[in-house]
Amino acid sequence: MYFEAELRGKKYKVDVTEGRHSWKISLQQEGKEWVHHDVSKNDYKRAEEYISFLFQGKSYLVDVVGSDTEYTVFTRNSFRSIKIFNDEMLLHESLKKGGGFGGDLELKSGMPGKIIEIFAKEGEIVKANKPLLIMEAMKMENEMRATRDVKIKEIKVKQGDSVESGAVLIKFEEPS
Amino acid sequence: MAVFKKILIANRGEIAIRITRACREMGIGSVAVFSDADRDSLHVFLADEAYHIGPSPSKESYLNYQKIIEVAKKAGADAIHPGYGFLSENTNFAKACDEAGITFIGPTVANIEAMGDKISAKTLMKKSGVPTVPGSDGGVDSVEEAIKIAEKIGLPVIIKASAGGGGKGMRVVRKMDEIESAFRACRSEGQNYFADPTVYIEKFINDPKHIEIQVFGDKHNNHVHLFERECSVQRRNQKIIEESPSPSVPQEVRLRMGEASVRAAKQINYVGAGTIEYIFDNTTKEFFFMEMNTRLQVEHPITEIVTGVDLVREQINVAAGKPLSFKQEDIKQKGHAIEARICAEDPVTYKPSPGVIRACRHPQGPFMRVDSYAYPGYNVPIFYDPMISKLITWGDTREEAINRMQRALSEFVLTGIKTNIVLHRTILDHPTFRDGTYTTQFIEKNFEVIEPEMFKQVEDPVFLIAAAIEAYNDRKSKDIRQLNVSSTWRRLGRKMQLRT
Repeated sequence: MYFEAELRGKKYKVDVTEGRHSWKISLQQEGKEWVHHDVSKNDYKRAEEYISFLFQGKSYLVDVVGSDTEYTVFTRNSFRSIKIFNDEMLLHESLKKGGGFGGDLELKSGMPGKIIEIFAKEGEIVKANKPLLIMEAMKMENEMRATRDVKIKEIKVKQGDSVESGAVLIKFEEPS
Repeated sequence: MAVFKKILIANRGEIAIRITRACREMGIGSVAVFSDADRDSLHVFLADEAYHIGPSPSKESYLNYQKIIEVAKKAGADAIHPGYGFLSENTNFAKACDEAGITFIGPTVANIEAMGDKISAKTLMKKSGVPTVPGSDGGVDSVEEAIKIAEKIGLPVIIKASAGGGGKGMRVVRKMDEIESAFRACRSEGQNYFADPTVYIEKFINDPKHIEIQVFGDKHNNHVHLFERECSVQRRNQKIIEESPSPSVPQEVRLRMGEASVRAAKQINYVGAGTIEYIFDNTTKEFFFMEMNTRLQVEHPITEIVTGVDLVREQINVAAGKPLSFKQEDIKQKGHAIEARICAEDPVTYKPSPGVIRACRHPQGPFMRVDSYAYPGYNVPIFYDPMISKLITWGDTREEAINRMQRALSEFVLTGIKTNIVLHRTILDHPTFRDGTYTTQFIEKNFEVIEPEMFKQVEDPVFLIAAAIEAYNDRKSKDIRQLNVSSTWRRLGRKMQLRT
């Protein structure tokens, strides 16, 4: 089964084949050669809530959380968020955006919270990594920044608003 | 016979559990209270009784002291332990407990009031001979006066708006000719932000350490200290690693700090557990009073470990009128203890990460302790502090305690939410932490870019392979589900065929 994945800004082509006793996983980082990994099912074992994964002689206790395109993999107290698109999703994406997976056009709230301050203005172009707004959740003030250069299309919240998880805070458009 | 029949714990999370444990060991009944968000919290499961006190926001539950007192009366509790945070330093609550005939397990109302105001606390400390940061006595009215004070105490100085906070109305002055502009700026910021133009001047301690002394007093005028804790590893002004003893305080200074703290506690007839916080200049080894916390603190276990004193038990006994169970000469620091605060937060951005904990396995082994309310399936709510566990290790030497902490952290499994465990592991290996010279600026200076260090620990293919196998399984199970569900069109077609 063919996938495309994105991890820490790097894109990968991924091919997964399931055998009776093993997995064959091929990974190709953009611009690099394919690397093939044969993983015995004995080395990738489910144990209660997590997976015991023996890889190249090292022992990892892995947990994979998520579905659709967003997966977070936890192991050794480290974690990575991985975007992963299967053939069906790739087709949808290509119909929507004309190929590949682009940036999000909305800033969503990852958790319920209160809007403390908004820096962005409608119509303004905000450079990557510049602050958009500050949201308070779990007694902490969290600054939310632009992940790339964006033009602010619409600000859906105002200072003092309480928002639910998943609420759209700001809508973007591509800066011309 | 137990000193109290039943104690209501006006708190949540790990500290509520910690107090419940002390109650059980002392043969005292424990009453938990919980908000909507905390119905499934571990402190509710572990207490003998548990009562709902309101909606999730703390303002409407854990801070609603009338409701808490009402529950205490209903449950027949004869004492209330406030833990830390929430109502622990709230004089109205302490007064309301007194009025209801319920013992407040903590200092007296007068103690809390005396230390609650920073300027009056500083004056009191000066009176009892505790070193305070050199500076002006109260407000400074003119630039000339400001220059005079700066010349007397020496540069650098910090000019602060009396009513200031959150970094506003604050200027560090390193050259004499900068005083005038800084003075005017602070006055106008004070006026604009806080409607108060009063400013004062203090000596600025470059790159300080945060050292605090645990004190204890009883109702029989006995006061002792239980030595120091170093809490300089902080991010966003919040402590994340604490250790005892401090690697920077020489024995002679340690004793002086302890004596000064006992003098301070005596000065106000302090009752119960308290902590005197100091700014410590690592170059000159001078210490200056910062503030006093009139409650039990998050980092109390490291003092318990090195001194062998159960601080919560002592608090309960002292509140019941018993004398302290030890004298100053009985208290010794044995070995070295470290505490790491495990928080539900992204270790790179420090943003909170609430949500459902999937896997949770606490480390085990010799000379360590885990105070935690995390368990698999628990949904970490968004309403409260992100700290979910405290890991404490002990060693004969500092190095042994650090190595043990590293080992314990490597065993700690917490998945489903992001945690700062990997940040702790990176800090513990840092040469500046290892040699003990770190200051309160440590995180800011060294962990602006923690990411590369953190990511070195596991190679990317491990994550990619696991994600790919799980994505494959998800896709396969979806295909199987689709095969099993025959479509409406197909069913309709079949019906039509049957009709003809």
